[in-house]
Amino acid sequence: MTTDELEQLLAQQPVALLHRLARGRVHRQFRAGKRRLIELLLQHSSHNRAGLEFDLQALLEERQSQSESGGRRSQHPPPITRKKTTPQAPVSALPEPAISLTGWLEGIGVPEPQPFVPDPWQTEALSALSETDVVISVPTGSGKTYVAIEAARRAMEDNRTVIYTSPLKALSNTKYTEFSRLFGPDKVGILTGDRQEHGQAPLLIMTTEILRNLLYDAASGEIDIRLDTLGLVILDESQYIADHERGVVWEETIIFCPSQAKLLLLSASIGNPQDIADWLTSIRPTACRLVRHSKRTVPLRAGYLHPNGKLTPLFRTLGIPYGHPSQLHPEAKRLFLEYEEQTLPSGRSRR
Amino acid sequence: MPPSIHPVDLVTALRHKHLTPAIVFLTSRRACDEAMDAFDHADLVLPPVRQEAIATALERVIAQYPSIAEHPLIPIVQRIGVAAHHAGHLPSWKIAIEELMRQGHLDAVFATTTLAAGVDFPARTVVITQSSIRKSRDFTDLTIGEVQQIAGRAGRRGKDHVGFAVITPSPYIDLSVLTKGLTGQPEAIDSQFTISYPMVLNLLKAHPHEHIQGILAKSFAQFQLNQRAELLERKLDLLHAQLEPFGPRVCTDWITQWQSFDHVRRHRPARHQTHRSESPEIAARLPFLTPGRVVGLHKGHGIVLRQYRSKGQKNSMLTMLRPGGAVTECPVTSVREVYDRTYDCTEIATYPWCAADTFDRLSEQLEELPLRLPILPILASPSAEILPDAIVQSLDDFPCPTCSSRSACQKDFPTASRLRQEQHRHTKSIQALRTSLWHRFQERVDVLQTFGYLTSTAQLTADGDWARLIRIDHSLLITELIRAEAFTGADPSLLTGIMASLAHDDDRPGAFPRISAGLSSLLRQVRKLAESLTPHDDPPLLRADVAALAERWVAEPTLTWIGLCRLTTMAEGDIYRLLARTIEFLSQLQTLKATHPYLADSAAEALTLIRRGVLEELP
Repeated sequence: MTTDELEQLLAQQPVALLHRLARGRVHRQFRAGKRRLIELLLQHSSHNRAGLEFDLQALLEERQSQSESGGRRSQHPPPITRKKTTPQAPVSALPEPAISLTGWLEGIGVPEPQPFVPDPWQTEALSALSETDVVISVPTGSGKTYVAIEAARRAMEDNRTVIYTSPLKALSNTKYTEFSRLFGPDKVGILTGDRQEHGQAPLLIMTTEILRNLLYDAASGEIDIRLDTLGLVILDESQYIADHERGVVWEETIIFCPSQAKLLLLSASIGNPQDIADWLTSIRPTACRLVRHSKRTVPLRAGYLHPNGKLTPLFRTLGIPYGHPSQLHPEAKRLFLEYEEQTLPSGRSRR
Repeated sequence: MPPSIHPVDLVTALRHKHLTPAIVFLTSRRACDEAMDAFDHADLVLPPVRQEAIATALERVIAQYPSIAEHPLIPIVQRIGVAAHHAGHLPSWKIAIEELMRQGHLDAVFATTTLAAGVDFPARTVVITQSSIRKSRDFTDLTIGEVQQIAGRAGRRGKDHVGFAVITPSPYIDLSVLTKGLTGQPEAIDSQFTISYPMVLNLLKAHPHEHIQGILAKSFAQFQLNQRAELLERKLDLLHAQLEPFGPRVCTDWITQWQSFDHVRRHRPARHQTHRSESPEIAARLPFLTPGRVVGLHKGHGIVLRQYRSKGQKNSMLTMLRPGGAVTECPVTSVREVYDRTYDCTEIATYPWCAADTFDRLSEQLEELPLRLPILPILASPSAEILPDAIVQSLDDFPCPTCSSRSACQKDFPTASRLRQEQHRHTKSIQALRTSLWHRFQERVDVLQTFGYLTSTAQLTADGDWARLIRIDHSLLITELIRAEAFTGADPSLLTGIMASLAHDDDRPGAFPRISAGLSSLLRQVRKLAESLTPHDDPPLLRADVAALAERWVAEPTLTWIGLCRLTTMAEGDIYRLLARTIEFLSQLQTLKATHPYLADSAAEALTLIRRGVLEELP
């Protein structure tokens, strides 16, 4: 969600909801008007947008479930009796009792095998890729590889060459094995510093350095004919652009990537994917599309395991309370303080 | 209580709560290996069915990679279903563990955090035991991005409803780093653009010098620099607006004018020193006004009894004996004439300042004085004239003290001057941001020109044309070595040794007792050259032990992998990585076939010799 979108969404909400959202974020929030409140909220959450979005989503869902159960009545302003109860059930709810261990452990298990349905962001990325470059920034394990595979398949059906690069040789090898299984061994080749197989295959896996070298050779006139048919370049783990020693290679590769080839940048969650997308837009022929989301496919829960083997939830809430690092489970807090007291040399305190 | 949970207890607890399979991230390789040792006598054995499943899965992998058949960890993996996975292991072992994990045979894998990015297998649970990782020798806190990268391994798509990130403390853990990491937004990433020598050569090969600036402008580095510059420009605009009311006044540049005026004013001595300054005429007289001297005053004359300085008086004072025996005080300025006549005078320290008999004699002599006495000619030297203070004089040059806008200037100056200073600073930084990449490029070009890879017009020389093909770290050193013909006549094993020492950038201690004479003398030459290049490029470690190790592997085709590992304390995985990196470096030398056929042949030969055993079996 961009700032503008968020601002619009907030503006559509009733003031009561904004006040609840502002609790704990904005000092004396009940004094501010709606405009000012939105401004303060955005200002306060500039460092932690995810937390604000998460709470807003939670509030919206809560309201929706209320309106469903309450029928048409909720169209009208809530009756006065409700008004008193609402503030007592705040969002990220301090008075709400902390989650119990059994509740926390609930739901472990293997889901029923379901037919694979691509997530909306995956479809969005694929359809955008037919026209422009795409930057994907999603949490680890959300299914970036699916996009890469599908995009590669489509490009190969178009008789275009596809190059897939990864930062580590080990990852390249894993992908080589995986892609060979998927597309057939004659369709996939690999080029790394010390390994060259099926160099003429339509899908080439290489380390980013090798691609950079290929592009330099092509630029200096030793033309590799296959760069003309190049249709898609996939750069996996592109957050490596911030790697101290090797980041420059990603930049060189992107700068010299032929303009007729589409670029697909896959990256773990980073703070400024919009910058990367803007950068690509500024140097590539078409405007780059950014696909990002912060919701994990498999939800995550955090726990605390004491050295004596006692397990407790880490946070008060079931899931991760995004934006509220201090909402520790009282039991975890107690155990950790105990641990610190025992392990730290006496008379010295961490804080 | 133990400082951290025992690995056996950890696995027991995880199993008990159905939190397996899990990846346990530990601080170091050693911690992983020690965790494995802890399982040696543990009675956590898996049910036979699962043991067999692991055995068959392992067999399949071993068939592909025979080098791990003898791996010491295999019994523990089979019996208990736990394994270690870190950079000290051979890639084939890591592949095997990843495969077992993917098939769901293992309960726990102990891995290092450093490898979190390279670990490409998920689990139901990740266990985090520390909040910092070792980055080039010291520990730094995990960033939010890193914590999320680690936690991201939890929860397998299609195999888990939920994933778990379990924190278990170890000494020096900082819980807040981890909770912030789990709940926060990942950090923004920054460009790490550096301009290397091969990059300069390759750019200049493909593009004319005048196009380069445009190419550099396309980098993410420049994009981010521009972002910062734009931010500063916005600030600059704001400053412009703020400076609006401080436009031209009586003088156009009143801020500078006032600043220098103010400076002068401040540096003028706060008040005039109260030294008693006599006019030159008076000063010239002083040496003559000694006791016994006859001087003329306003009325009549007198004899000087003493000369002294008094606190309340600006000028020196005289005590005079006047006609009639009166003793009076008067300032030197009241002396009209100094006569050319003196009498003897015996001074004493108390009133009347001369001995009694002198006093009587002087009184008599004073009565007897003629009306006219010859006047002593006293010349005042012009050099003794006091020069006015230079600064005081320049203060008079300023129109400010009498200017009509003086009070306004005085009032606004602090604000206006601060704003203008900021403006100057921002303008300077904007300029630096816009051109810094280009300057860095130019610096590299200058170095390459002095070494003769580029002509004065920034065209590639014959040397530059082949040197651009060496696109690895320490390329300048390597090309200089080639030009110095250091490798002439070097056999493949020697070449491998040198390349290995260039390629190895890890300073973990290793041990190797012997090094051949040829290699050691060549290495000395390389070190000398590397030292001379230090102003232009960071020198490599050039470790002799790793050089010798790689040399032995190439020189003795009968040496087995196990034999090689026994020669050093380096971990298997490190040796493998060393040789793999050496292969990369040698492949670069191989590309110089056209210009250096002998060297390329030697490198090719080394490559065929180095690729055997474990290095051949692995991808």
